[in-house]
Amino acid sequence: MKYIVGILILLLTIIFATSIGSVPIDFDTILKSIVSKLQLWNFDEPINEITETVIWNIRLPRVILAAIVGASLGLSGATYQGVFRNPLADPYLIGVASGSGLAATIIFVSGLPLIIFNLNLLPIGTFIGGITAVMCAYMISKISQSRSITTIILAGVAIGAFASALSGILILKSDPDVRPLLSWLMGGFISGQWNKVIFLSPYLCFGSIIIYFYARSINILQLSDDHAASLGVNVRYIRFILIMASTLITASAVSFSGIIGFVGLASPHTVRLIWGEDYRKILPMSAIVGSIFLVVSDLISRIIMSPGELPVGVITALFGAPFFIYLLIYSGKKIK
Amino acid sequence: MKQFIYIPLIIIILLGCSTKLAEQAQSDTTALPQLKILNQPQPLQPVQLKLQEIPSVNNESKANGKITQTVYPLVIKDRNGEKITFDVAPQRIIAFDAAAVEILFAIGQGSKVIATHSFVSYPLEVSEITKVGDAFSMDIEAIVSLNPDLVYIFYPTFKEELEKVGLKVLLIETIDDDLTKLSDHFRMWGQITDAIDKSENLASDFENRIQLIKQELSQYSSEPSIFQDVGDFWTPGNNTLINEVFNLLKLDNISKSNDGYYQMSPEVIATMNPQYIITNTPDSYINNPAFKNLSVIKSNSFYIPNNDYFSIFGPRFILGIEELANTVYPAIYKKPR
Repeated sequence: MKYIVGILILLLTIIFATSIGSVPIDFDTILKSIVSKLQLWNFDEPINEITETVIWNIRLPRVILAAIVGASLGLSGATYQGVFRNPLADPYLIGVASGSGLAATIIFVSGLPLIIFNLNLLPIGTFIGGITAVMCAYMISKISQSRSITTIILAGVAIGAFASALSGILILKSDPDVRPLLSWLMGGFISGQWNKVIFLSPYLCFGSIIIYFYARSINILQLSDDHAASLGVNVRYIRFILIMASTLITASAVSFSGIIGFVGLASPHTVRLIWGEDYRKILPMSAIVGSIFLVVSDLISRIIMSPGELPVGVITALFGAPFFIYLLIYSGKKIK
Repeated sequence: MKQFIYIPLIIIILLGCSTKLAEQAQSDTTALPQLKILNQPQPLQPVQLKLQEIPSVNNESKANGKITQTVYPLVIKDRNGEKITFDVAPQRIIAFDAAAVEILFAIGQGSKVIATHSFVSYPLEVSEITKVGDAFSMDIEAIVSLNPDLVYIFYPTFKEELEKVGLKVLLIETIDDDLTKLSDHFRMWGQITDAIDKSENLASDFENRIQLIKQELSQYSSEPSIFQDVGDFWTPGNNTLINEVFNLLKLDNISKSNDGYYQMSPEVIATMNPQYIITNTPDSYINNPAFKNLSVIKSNSFYIPNNDYFSIFGPRFILGIEELANTVYPAIYKKPR
């Protein structure tokens, strides 16, 4: 039942967010446009072509992109927190963001054309960067003598710091116009288009199916490794699969939206504070909450200084943090 | 949140006048039919090249019959009203600004520039000049060891540090409000380096050419709309020098509602439907379904600026302004040849 309510709220948020923007469009016109697009009814007066473009080619793909990225970040945040038994884990903890950021920086400062053979280099590069960073962290934890779960987190933090430092050097030594890089690093959906939605959806679907399949195992992982093993769970294997699956969806989300903080951290905790500790509930609800959170944040980033825009990462922290603090205070008893 | 450490750096850049736009995408655009890109010869010394071109708008040559030598001690006021006194003309100048280096070369004082930063690439002689930092960092030790008698900077970050080690520092922040201040800036350099003649020529040449544009356009009242995309929908809004250029050229900047440089909402661009778009990457508009209704695409009214002309607010800036005027008003405005 709560899933249906959640999805309904998400859908309403998407429609609401699509109806608001820098260019004022009546709600009436939006409904008309949807109805005629679905060929339910033909209106005598066709809707202005520019209005149609704004709704269908600018706002809607952007809002849906925000929803998908929000779902990806929320879901992978919940997974990382479960896998690492660490409430501070978020999708960027084990180096995904820094790895992707380094790749983006290399692409921007090297002066490579961003589009080669109709292929957008940026998402591919950042995707590879993110995955590589996590693979490094994972390999380090494998080689390491320590069997502790914190090894991979620490390795990820170290690799992240290293990659950030490299990006810093590159930026400092590069051509001074780094505005496009800045917008990427701060995250945003300003160039959201349908082709990005189409690119991202399979990753989210694939990743979330795998993650949800292991939801029960994540519950068991909340016990110690030994306990989990004695219950017949192959801890190392499951952990590997889950890390890879959530890194996959994080890296693909990051590759188009840039680095958006706080969604992956706050969504699972919000869910946990309201619905408790069962990962079978936390996982899907985190995706829905993350999705709603990011769609609303993107909406604010679009209209707060219209016709200008703010990076959405600024908004997620600016509005997300107070809300999260409110939750911490008023449901403090439940936090573990 | 590590990415936020870049914010202060970026603010510096946005303030910085020598913002050199990324040229990476230019190679993509060469295949496109461009509206009109002037094949402007690279004038090493714009003053001499342009002297015969000065239109007879303002006949009194200000250099004649006036003081042509600087009287020292000279007091220069920076934009905050702080006074800097020169007892003699500085001979070892570190000009930490692309425009300042260009001005000094244009008024024949290039040999006094002993160092600059690593993004300065014009005129060609600059390649042999020592680099003591880039737009974000400054090698104070190297600067001290060069023993300069003037350090010119365009953003305040390192001012105190430089003054602490006993250097004479002149800080003039980027001009963002008034096009005419640019010629005063040329004159200031002439005064400081005792090259008043040449700087006066440079300044009055600039003023005359601006005046000519004004005159040519004075009888026209229509204001074609324009949008400049410096990358990822970042655009100069109100209170930017570029917006001043648009005002001069009777162009209606669709992003003038907000101040400074900011990121513009694509849906507003699609709705406002500007008649001209200045961008290095027209492809990003042509290939984006969001912009399929833009009239710019049908008429191919993209203007791909010669980045140096349009982004370094020095002696060559006027060439950028004229190039744009020529693009937008090919029938009305004829570039002086």
